Amino acid sequence: MPVVLLRAHAFANEEKAMGKHRTTDVIEAVIWLVIAIVFFAVSFEFNQPIEIYKFGATGWPRVILALMAAVAFGNFYHSYKKGAQAQTGRVGANEEAEAVEYKSFSQYLQTGWLLILPLFYAISLKPVGFYCGTPFFIALIMVAWGERRIAYILYSTLIIYGLLLLLFMVVLNAPLPQGNMSPFYDVSAFILRMKTQLDQLF
Amino acid sequence: MIENFLTGTATLFGDPFTIGVFVFGVLGGMLFGAIPGVSMLTLAAILLPFTADLSPAQGVMLFAVIYCTGTYGGAITAILFNIPGAPENAPTAFDGYPMTQKGMAGKAVGAAVLCSAIGGVASALVMMSATEPLAQWAIMNIGPPEIFALVFFGLAVASSVGGRTIWKGWLSVLLGLIVATIGQDPVGGINRYNFGFTDLAAGIAFVPAILGFFAVSEIFVQAEKRVGGTYSAPKFNVDFPTFFELWAHKIAVVRSIFVGFFCGILPGIGATLAAFMGYGEAVRWSKNKEEFGKGKLEGVISSETANNAATGAAMIPLLALGLPGGALTAMMVAVFQMHDLEPGPLVFYNSPDLIWVVFSAMFYANLSILFIGLIETKTILYLLKIPFQFLAPMILMLASIGAYIGRGLVLDVIVMFVAGIVGFLLRRSGYSIPGIVLGLILGKIGEQNFAQGMQMVHYDLVTYFSRPICTILIVAGVLTLLKSLHSAFYAQPSQS
Repeated sequence: MPVVLLRAHAFANEEKAMGKHRTTDVIEAVIWLVIAIVFFAVSFEFNQPIEIYKFGATGWPRVILALMAAVAFGNFYHSYKKGAQAQTGRVGANEEAEAVEYKSFSQYLQTGWLLILPLFYAISLKPVGFYCGTPFFIALIMVAWGERRIAYILYSTLIIYGLLLLLFMVVLNAPLPQGNMSPFYDVSAFILRMKTQLDQLF
Repeated sequence: MIENFLTGTATLFGDPFTIGVFVFGVLGGMLFGAIPGVSMLTLAAILLPFTADLSPAQGVMLFAVIYCTGTYGGAITAILFNIPGAPENAPTAFDGYPMTQKGMAGKAVGAAVLCSAIGGVASALVMMSATEPLAQWAIMNIGPPEIFALVFFGLAVASSVGGRTIWKGWLSVLLGLIVATIGQDPVGGINRYNFGFTDLAAGIAFVPAILGFFAVSEIFVQAEKRVGGTYSAPKFNVDFPTFFELWAHKIAVVRSIFVGFFCGILPGIGATLAAFMGYGEAVRWSKNKEEFGKGKLEGVISSETANNAATGAAMIPLLALGLPGGALTAMMVAVFQMHDLEPGPLVFYNSPDLIWVVFSAMFYANLSILFIGLIETKTILYLLKIPFQFLAPMILMLASIGAYIGRGLVLDVIVMFVAGIVGFLLRRSGYSIPGIVLGLILGKIGEQNFAQGMQMVHYDLVTYFSRPICTILIVAGVLTLLKSLHSAFYAQPSQS
């Protein structure tokens, strides 16, 4: 089934008879236009006059949105006429960007997992806190990167976690999220108590 | 001037504690600039309360030294990992990282060290000799219309760099500009696009966005290559550039010093735009434009010379007029205020010792970049030997903490990872990450100065364009856009 889906996707990406654009170019154009339209619609929520400024709070963003819509059309026109190839003379263009080709559905899943995992960590910071969530996140990232040696993961996690605690908690005394859910909050409070006692020793 | 400089030098090196503060600033700036996710601003913010215990000269000098060496430090990670330590190092990555991939990391880092030192020393010398007249010139000729015009020109240049097509370059800059409108509007303080989140009323902070777009998206790109089986570790090499290789780029260095100094002197513009414009001008004047972005030494040289040339210039509006040009110079104002001083013209008459200690320290800090930089470079290059599955979680964690500690908001960490995912997808599609970041940084400055400029001239465009510097910059920006538009319609697709 995934192979069928991939083939369908590849077929959709083939050049059309009318133009050289691909399905992704249409999707890109739609996304830019949706951004422009949504932001324009939301701008009515703060469309209040400012006594000292003629253009108000909406003038600047609306000009940007109008330009965005116009440039999105230009972008689509370019891909329609010339396809996805880079323009000549472009500087600093990321040529390796599309170098990776996905051969199986599991590769999509693997990349998706790598993208989503840090976001889960960020969202969990408020309830779980830095002190409890970080070691698990470090280990999971290594697993997601393909590392399977348990001892290597364990020692690397301890080294990275230890270095971070040393730098930010002990040396810089930076306030890090403690979490607001039991038992995570209690563990964070315990670690911070230990740190305070360490400070008092010296 | 020479006498004052020697007096400043004697004061700086005559007291062991002051030497200690200087050395701490040099090493701290380099280290914090070079650690991905943590910047010189983090160090400065941590140190700010402690400056109350230092003398005013030591406090201001410490921040000035951190500013010089931190601006250089961010180039290391830009070159080695495509993760600029600060936005002003972003253009360095355009050619620096491809050089690393080709096994020329030593040459790129060596050039960054040397050119940062040259740019910084030149800037310090001009600052010492001409702070007062330059500040007077700036106050007479530079106002909100000129600053808006420079932002416009800078964005026009930035849009022509980075994207796979000019359209994508423009869309990247426009995305950055629209994200910059989130939060309160700079004139009336009206909340815009906060979508019901009270934390968004303060806007999207630069640091999490920059970390997300650069550091996190780069980790994702490498991760994807690993999944696809195309990942290859960067090649390790410690060969420095030869004297002749560097001498061949002498004109690029001089040009970047001028560009960097001009951008640095303008309040709020600073080193970031200087680096982009230094790079952009190098491309504009080059006979081999197509080689840029593929590992050309001149790209690293132009960007690093320009951003360090902006550091000395940024001190001019601060010291002579009391106008901070960026976050770090704003912290310097706080150091002055902690000691019941106000930066401005009177400082030159009331506290000349302080001024010359700071000037001397900046001069020597830039020289230190050369000596310490060359010594540390060979060590730093060994970072390339660390396996990426170890380095990736380390960088992600440093970035997470860097995003969090700025404002103490978990939302900033979420913003950073969302920016990372968006950046990853946009890079795949050929959009320009530096363009987005520059739009984000300059958006609010541009809007604020446009509004102030329009109010100044009572919305009369004739008066607006009667200001020569403003007109020149706007015309230059429009010509850049028109040239890009022409190439968008008539350029042939690349064969590569």
